[in-house]
Amino acid sequence: MSGKPAFGLDAAFALVILAIGGVIAYVSWGYGFGSMGRPGPGLYPFFVGIAIALAALFTLAGVLRTSDPHPVLDTEGARTFAIMTATFCFWVLAMPVLGYVAVTLISTIVFAKAVRLEGWRKPLAVAAGTALFIYLLFDVWLYIDLPRGIWQ
Amino acid sequence: MSGWELLLNGFANSFTTVNLVACFVGALIGTVVGVLPGLGPTATMALLLPFTIPYGATTGLIMMTGVWYGAMYGGSTTSVLINIPGEAASVVTCLDGYQMARKGRAGAALALVAIGSFAAGTLGLVGLQFLAPLLGQAALSFGPPEFLAFMLLAFVLLANLSAEAPLKGALMIALGLFLSAIGINPMDSYPRFTFGTEKLMLGIDFLPIAMGLFGISEILTIAVEKYVKPAVAKVRVRELYPSGDEMKRSVFPMLRGSVLGFFVGLLPGPSTVISTFVAYAVEKRLSRRPDEFGHGAVEGVVAPESANNSAVMGSMIPLLTLGIPFAAPSAIMLAGLRMHNVEPGPMMFTSNPDVFWTFIAAMYLGNLMLLVLNLPLVGAFAKIATIRPQILLPIISVICLVGIYSVRNAFFDVWVMIAAGVSGFFLRKWHYPIAPFIIGIVLGPTTENSLRQTLIMFKGDLALIVERPLATTLLTIAVAFIAYRVFVRVRGRSRLIAVEEGKGL
Repeated sequence: MSGKPAFGLDAAFALVILAIGGVIAYVSWGYGFGSMGRPGPGLYPFFVGIAIALAALFTLAGVLRTSDPHPVLDTEGARTFAIMTATFCFWVLAMPVLGYVAVTLISTIVFAKAVRLEGWRKPLAVAAGTALFIYLLFDVWLYIDLPRGIWQ
Repeated sequence: MSGWELLLNGFANSFTTVNLVACFVGALIGTVVGVLPGLGPTATMALLLPFTIPYGATTGLIMMTGVWYGAMYGGSTTSVLINIPGEAASVVTCLDGYQMARKGRAGAALALVAIGSFAAGTLGLVGLQFLAPLLGQAALSFGPPEFLAFMLLAFVLLANLSAEAPLKGALMIALGLFLSAIGINPMDSYPRFTFGTEKLMLGIDFLPIAMGLFGISEILTIAVEKYVKPAVAKVRVRELYPSGDEMKRSVFPMLRGSVLGFFVGLLPGPSTVISTFVAYAVEKRLSRRPDEFGHGAVEGVVAPESANNSAVMGSMIPLLTLGIPFAAPSAIMLAGLRMHNVEPGPMMFTSNPDVFWTFIAAMYLGNLMLLVLNLPLVGAFAKIATIRPQILLPIISVICLVGIYSVRNAFFDVWVMIAAGVSGFFLRKWHYPIAPFIIGIVLGPTTENSLRQTLIMFKGDLALIVERPLATTLLTIAVAFIAYRVFVRVRGRSRLIAVEEGKGL
């Protein structure tokens, strides 16, 4: 990405928020305003929606004037970001099946590799230490019933 | 019971093993978090909140404040030794602290920071101890119009003080207010924005949002950055003695920083950060040696560090007396107190006086613990600063995931946290302030209730608010502040145009 984009991701974000503000105001209208002396459930969120839309509109104007030509993430950063986010999602999806110990081990190793922890010995040691810590803190000390998955 | 009797009672309550351990653990974790660049006190407080649930409101409050307070102490260590602020309130300390370290006075700088922080923390506590009950008494006369006006003033100040662009701050507050409106509205039991989903009936829980915005987004931000190993200045224990001249030069900056920090702490926004800049500017202006600032002036280290500790105590006043948090860490504290069914505010001094007084007593002890902890262990804390994020990030990531799941055993909360974390990452990159969003969520229900009660009270005629002097004064200040900002902006723009036209000629 080079040069100055006229409409970047930050502008798109402000536009989406502007639309959300409009939707909030519209939906709130449907909840009913009541009267000023006896306000209904839609009155407050309607004004909040209008405030969001107005603030987003002016922010959008400002963003379009001063749009940053640099991308938020470079290629390596985008890769790290994608792996980290995917691992967070993996943790939630795999936990009921694999159980907390296996998921902790796998996730910690992937996190460590995503943030460029060199070799395999250190990631494995960090993963084992984290899994042990989670077991001692949550399972033994706090009696939290964490999913055990297929190991149950 | 008189104030002193209540305080003594508070000391008796705080001398329980669980409270002392909570105080020590909070202070220790806070110091470590302050030392580590990246993970700030707000994320840590959010992360620790679930662990305080089994131990009651007072213990939770003590631990949370210990973390916040400890972070103020720890943040300065890296500022002095490696020129990297451990957290935002220690940025100013880098200017002169690191220069002192380069001159071989790192030990003295750290000792003065610890003594200054201790003195300021104690003075701030004295202020809190005397002012909070008085203000709490005064706040009893607040009705819905006063609360509404106060809230509006807080939002105006918050939007202006938290962000480079006030509109972005205002947008974040409004988004927070909206998020708090999701779910069944307690005033008329009407479900709003639930889209028929049962999970949204009770609203979106605050904790996953806070953990995501402050924890996960920080993890993602650090993960994508390139790491450069810092060089740490060595400190020996025998070097921890400031010279007589350094001590003498520190006394008044310490006192001025403490008083100033306490009052700046009463303002909405990142008061601990603002207090350091204000204290530094004041000292530079008052100094007989202003040219020394930026080259290792003792005053430039002591005053900001005293101010940020005192500001923590100042910012507890609106939280404890009105139940209104003005900063992100106090918003987390409010959420924590609510988890224990304790609602801070004017009634707390009569309904739960033991919570307040035990908290005050424990903080006196915590302040002492931090002094003892920070002086001899400064070398150990400096070593922590060199632990690579490649080792810490995977551990913290998994603890965040398990921590938020363990609160309600709900995967939904984990999804909310991940979504908030990813959103928070981009919001930071695009310079949207996070704290106003969190404060908006926390204050949303009070704002709506105040608005609706005021409308009912005035039978829909909001103009009647002029009959309430306090509410009118607060609203006038808010309007005057907006007018001032618009005036400054318009004047700045017309000057810029004039300069450009001059260049054109």
